[in-house]
Amino acid sequence: MKLGGIAHLLEYDLRNFFRYKWWIAGMISMNLADLIVMAVVYTNMISPTVAGKYLSYFLFFSPGITITALFAAAFMIGREINREFRRSLSHYLLSLPFSRRELAFGRVLSGGVRGMVYMAPLLATTTFVTWFFTEKLPSPLEMLLVVFALFLVSIGTSGLSITIALSTKSFEKFVTARGVIYYVLFFCSSVFYPLDFIRQLGRDGTLPQPLVFIAEINPLSSGADITRSFLLGYPSFSPLMLLNVALFAAIFVLTATFAYLKIVQE
Amino acid sequence: MAIIRTFDLTKKFGEFTAVDHLNLSIEEGEIFGLLGPNGAGKTTTLLMLTTVIKPTEGTAYVGEYDITKEPDKARRLVGMAFQEPKLMWVMTPWDVLNWHAKVCGLSSSERKQRVKWALTELGLWEDRHKSVHTFSGGMRKRVEVAKILIQRPKIAIVDEPTTQIDIVGKHRIWNMIRALRDEGSTIILATNELYEADILSDRVAIMHRGKLLVCDSPKKLKDSIVGGDLIELVLEKEAAENTVEELKKIEKVVDVLAIKPNHLRIYLNHAEEVLPQITELFMKARLPIRSIRMSEPSLDDVFAHYTGLTIEEAEKQ
Ligand SMILES: Nc1ncnc2c1ncn2[C@@H]1O[C@H](COP(=O)(O)OP(=O)(O)O)[C@@H](O)[C@H]1O
Ligand SMILES: [Mg+2]
Repeated sequence: MKLGGIAHLLEYDLRNFFRYKWWIAGMISMNLADLIVMAVVYTNMISPTVAGKYLSYFLFFSPGITITALFAAAFMIGREINREFRRSLSHYLLSLPFSRRELAFGRVLSGGVRGMVYMAPLLATTTFVTWFFTEKLPSPLEMLLVVFALFLVSIGTSGLSITIALSTKSFEKFVTARGVIYYVLFFCSSVFYPLDFIRQLGRDGTLPQPLVFIAEINPLSSGADITRSFLLGYPSFSPLMLLNVALFAAIFVLTATFAYLKIVQE
Repeated sequence: MAIIRTFDLTKKFGEFTAVDHLNLSIEEGEIFGLLGPNGAGKTTTLLMLTTVIKPTEGTAYVGEYDITKEPDKARRLVGMAFQEPKLMWVMTPWDVLNWHAKVCGLSSSERKQRVKWALTELGLWEDRHKSVHTFSGGMRKRVEVAKILIQRPKIAIVDEPTTQIDIVGKHRIWNMIRALRDEGSTIILATNELYEADILSDRVAIMHRGKLLVCDSPKKLKDSIVGGDLIELVLEKEAAENTVEELKKIEKVVDVLAIKPNHLRIYLNHAEEVLPQITELFMKARLPIRSIRMSEPSLDDVFAHYTGLTIEEAEKQ
């Protein structure tokens, strides 16, 4: 694999990403609305016993929103790759002087980088807001670890979306699968409520155990909680969280790369 | 020297054979026309040569590389302008072409100069920052062809480069393709337009239903049709029976048909060489000629000779 080839693919996908101006504008306003409106409302609705450790629901929710934004932006690459194959636009990329492995890995990486680029301002906002209310700032090393963990979530998400995009030629099926995945991963996670609270609901019998399990292994939970542990100090960081996102990234980067390699060998 | 050789190159889609044991040899520096009706298997052949799709059977050498064994190396010698423009709808021609040039290894100064040149020549300079989804089919096609004109690959493949383009644009692109050849590229031109294949190609391969029918220079292909040339003569007086017999005796004359007593149709080869003999014969017989019309066979006649169909008829099937 050549770095030059990968760099060109990154440029290709990043340029395309920024052309979806309306999508980006829509997403950003949605994220901001989520952050401000919902968080303010929920802060007053949610019992202090749940949110207490986090000072306010707003501070808890902020890393959650950051990671959903990351997920949505990283997931977009699948839609484009699905479209490329449906319309044989892929033939163009296949005719260029890239090796097949460069092409496959480059596209997965692009999706991950796009997630990070989109998320960066939100992460900065979250860090700033947290610092503003708590006067705590993570050390550069901690921040690096947060960014690294989020990158793993991002590239894993890109891999997941490419894997799904390549397993069906139908756009409808891709959209349906995307809907289900968004729903499951967003709501069975610590994005909206702390994992402790979800576990409590599981013990009470309010929430079925399988859903609790999904929330525990969900990379969005781990990603959000790693961010919280270094920004807010709670939940405390555990290497298992990092292992979880690393595993997620490894599995889906590999499946996506192989799915892409397999489909280009027609 | 042959720069591309195919050996029983075959592509099947399920049970359907799109390209059927194709054996071709393309010389370095020539414009090689691949002519055939829609569905003949031209695009499929080209996609195999660019290593976009894999052959089901057989192989091809691009330069010294076997496309099934060293596709990464083979691919580096080839550039292709696709039949259906492959453009992301949100892109602008400027970005499309700059990125393409960069990927193909042009330095930034070469890139600047060639992108500007191609956009200007193809009449796209004004629209270079508009996204291609606002473009007409012909404009998109020009962006697609520009990729190759800028890249100047060792082997340039153009798949129906002038469909949907107006006649002025067609001539411009033809000239640019010739110039590209003169710069040292070998050109493979797939087309279903007889005229385009005829005026541009050094050699033409005619394909039908995945198979190669025949391959030679356009001139030789046309000459190969026995009695393919036609001379029609209208005389001032009726021709005598023995004049017709004498005509038939001329070497290279294949047949003579008297449509009316003073209107003869002569089927022959090399009409331009035989015409003086024919006029002399009528002068000796004191038969003044009122008019002469000469016509050559076209590549369509060559196609019809091998398939019993005109290209247009074959496309309807
Ligand atoms: N991906 C494909 N799957 C199935 N059939 C195909 C595919 N691509 C081409 N074909 C068929 O193969 C034949 C040859 O197509 P093509 O190479 O595009 O012809 P041409 O370029 O000469 O018009 C056509 O009948 C076409 O329908
Ligand atoms: Mg075609």
